[in-house]
Amino acid sequence: MKKILKSEIIGPFIAFLVVFLLACISTERFLVLSNLRNLVLQICVTAFLAVGATFVILTGGIDISCGSAVALQTMLFATMIKSWGLSVWAGVVLLVFVGVIMGAFNGFLVSYLKIPAFIATLSSQSMFRGLSYMINNGSALQSLSTDTEKIFYTTVFGLPITLIYIVVFFALAHIFLTYTRSGRKIYAVGGNMEAAQLSGIHVKHTLMLTYSLAGMCTGIAAVLYACRLNSGSQNFGPGMEMSAIAAAVIGGTSMTGGKGKVVATLIGAGTVLIVQNVLNLNSISTAIQQVVNGMMILLAVLLDVWRAPIGRIFGRGIAKAGINRAKEVSN
Amino acid sequence: MSERGEVLWEVKHLTKIFPGVKALDDVSMQFHRGEIHGLIGENGSGKSTLIKCLSGVYQPEEGDIYHQGKLVHVSSPIAARKMGVATIFQEFSLVPTLSVVENIFLGRLLYKENNRLIDWKKMRNEAEELLDGLDIDIDPSAVVKNLSVAQQQLVEIAKALSIHASLLIMDEPTAALGQSEIERLHLLTRKLRDQGYAIIYISHRLDEMESLVDRVTVLKDGVVTGECGRQEISVSEIVRIMIGSDIENHYPKEHNGTEEVILQAENLTTRQGARHAGFELYKGEVLGFAGLIGSGRTQIARGIFGADSLLEGSLKIDGRKVRIRRPQDAIRAGVAFVTENRKSDGLFMNFHAGPNISVVKLEKLLQAGLLSLKKEESSSREYVHRLKITPTALEKSVRFLSGGNQQKVVIARWLFSQAEIFIMDEPTQGIDVQAKVEVYQLMNRLTAAGKAVILISSDFPELIAMSDRLAIVRDGTITETVPVGNITRKELMEITMGRQNSQKSGRVRS
Repeated sequence: MKKILKSEIIGPFIAFLVVFLLACISTERFLVLSNLRNLVLQICVTAFLAVGATFVILTGGIDISCGSAVALQTMLFATMIKSWGLSVWAGVVLLVFVGVIMGAFNGFLVSYLKIPAFIATLSSQSMFRGLSYMINNGSALQSLSTDTEKIFYTTVFGLPITLIYIVVFFALAHIFLTYTRSGRKIYAVGGNMEAAQLSGIHVKHTLMLTYSLAGMCTGIAAVLYACRLNSGSQNFGPGMEMSAIAAAVIGGTSMTGGKGKVVATLIGAGTVLIVQNVLNLNSISTAIQQVVNGMMILLAVLLDVWRAPIGRIFGRGIAKAGINRAKEVSN
Repeated sequence: MSERGEVLWEVKHLTKIFPGVKALDDVSMQFHRGEIHGLIGENGSGKSTLIKCLSGVYQPEEGDIYHQGKLVHVSSPIAARKMGVATIFQEFSLVPTLSVVENIFLGRLLYKENNRLIDWKKMRNEAEELLDGLDIDIDPSAVVKNLSVAQQQLVEIAKALSIHASLLIMDEPTAALGQSEIERLHLLTRKLRDQGYAIIYISHRLDEMESLVDRVTVLKDGVVTGECGRQEISVSEIVRIMIGSDIENHYPKEHNGTEEVILQAENLTTRQGARHAGFELYKGEVLGFAGLIGSGRTQIARGIFGADSLLEGSLKIDGRKVRIRRPQDAIRAGVAFVTENRKSDGLFMNFHAGPNISVVKLEKLLQAGLLSLKKEESSSREYVHRLKITPTALEKSVRFLSGGNQQKVVIARWLFSQAEIFIMDEPTQGIDVQAKVEVYQLMNRLTAAGKAVILISSDFPELIAMSDRLAIVRDGTITETVPVGNITRKELMEITMGRQNSQKSGRVRS
């Protein structure tokens, strides 16, 4: 029990509960099975992007290109199926691969070309979106295949399959970050890049890996997005990077890097989604929804900024105790 | 002897405490009008803390500051400036992309009287006047980054004096200057003295103390250990005061040196400043790198460790040639590097002790391909116990640990990596005496186990006491290697700071 209270998950979890309760109070249409089912379907894409965002933010970087990446990838996916006649399954495999390549491109900009992550991914955001308009003369592709339904809408033992995707993927991401050397290196690079270098960590490789994995997440997210709507479109995914980043930060991932857990990110994604869902249910206009989205990020980042001073106050207490002890020793 | 000017500034019973260290301990000093007051002492002796108290950066825990006999409260750097304290810190405060004029008037631009537009003409004129008054020949509209370091230094001084000041504090102003530039700066400093400023002059260079300043105060561990006026100032006198002789017993040195070479470095050259450095390191010995700050000690170490890439040179470990291109090669070859700035490039503040220790050899934690957090926990527990690190390190971020505990965590990391060669760069800087002794004992244990240590330290008593041999480092290279038994602290100080310089600059005033 004590361990749970001390863990990094407790803060995001309380935030989640508060939002959940407020949602229940604000409308009776929230806590009904059909809505919750809908939520599980909706959270899927955001959740996958949020894992990528968490990886990147853990290294002290940021990826604001993932929304555009998803748009481009859904178009590629649609083209593979409709124009090239590939099966949906082959498309899935290829798309994940494409995602890795696009992520690696970001990684290359950040690690080898030393471009600040925000600028690098801002550029690729524009490039990816532009490239998506070059496919199919800028128009969307609809009714891809009947197989897409199998990927997204199947149920297993009465549970939506997307829930299973999420559980499996987050478990894998958690294992990767906590129990593999590469995962540990991501934390180390985010904690202190200079020290990481001097501890024998290949910082550039680690960054490449991180962004490539984030790219893989966009690939999977794009597959799910395209399958959910059975189409590909250039207009998919605007603002999604914001939801993904908000999920990570509300989940307690530190913007300065080195601190965060994917499990908490999942809770953060849930929080973000419930807020959006409740606004929808209460028929709040999309204009206001965007404002709220922005405010959520601000709030989360503010919390992150305030975490350090709070920590310092604790630190000072310990330092003082140290002096007292030193005095006792010297006396 | 000339009449001394009035006391412009005075500090009485100043005490400043940092976690685990008393940086200043009941320090009282007077600064007179028209006098250059030299401040000297080893790193961590409290010089910087003293001037930071005077310039409002730190607030002392106890003690008072007086300006012309009146008690003043220097609450912030801005308050200090208003009271007439002009400080030139080691790190320049100039904005490189702005012009000299803009820098001089930074934060207090002059406006035209009838509107709110910037009066460039007036500022330019005033800047010109200021520079002329100081005999500084620099175009006021030049962009600062295009100036040489020496010129920037002069602009820094002009900027500091552009606000009416009575006390000028110069923190190692000559550290980055060549000989002729130094003389030029000395000329300006004397001129300012004659204009009636009180000047505090901090330097590591004893020859400067001899030739420039009117009065020297020696600080050590936050206490004034001695003061001498102009007649008495000489390199040997200062050295005598600096050395004192009360800390002999704090160095529990064991001699474990052998005849067996473990590391042979030849001709090490890096872009960052190592130049054809070569030496041999024996199993079980401590080889001290003795040199001034900026002499290239750290650069040679970084070259060995692969942190800076070698342009030339070769390394042999245990007689086998090794290629070290990056730190991971060095770690694999059994080299450890305890860096000088544990906060900026040693510790991971986002981790507690465990991951901080295991980071250099994560493969040791592998079990069926995955990291075993249990193994990590148990091995870090063992190191915490062995090195007497505070047990809170196991749960709390290392950010919250004292300097001594932090340093021991870093050392534990390299013990965990099973290194054979330990490069320790200022390993006892900023940690309390007890922790220092523990670090020394650790070095003894390492050498007793046949490992070798390269010790870089600006603390000469420590360097002499703990080393078996000394490598004298100057200009990025090792000029000679001497057994420690043959050398006194005074000789070592003169070799590294005084001897060659005082010959060059001559004894200007005798």
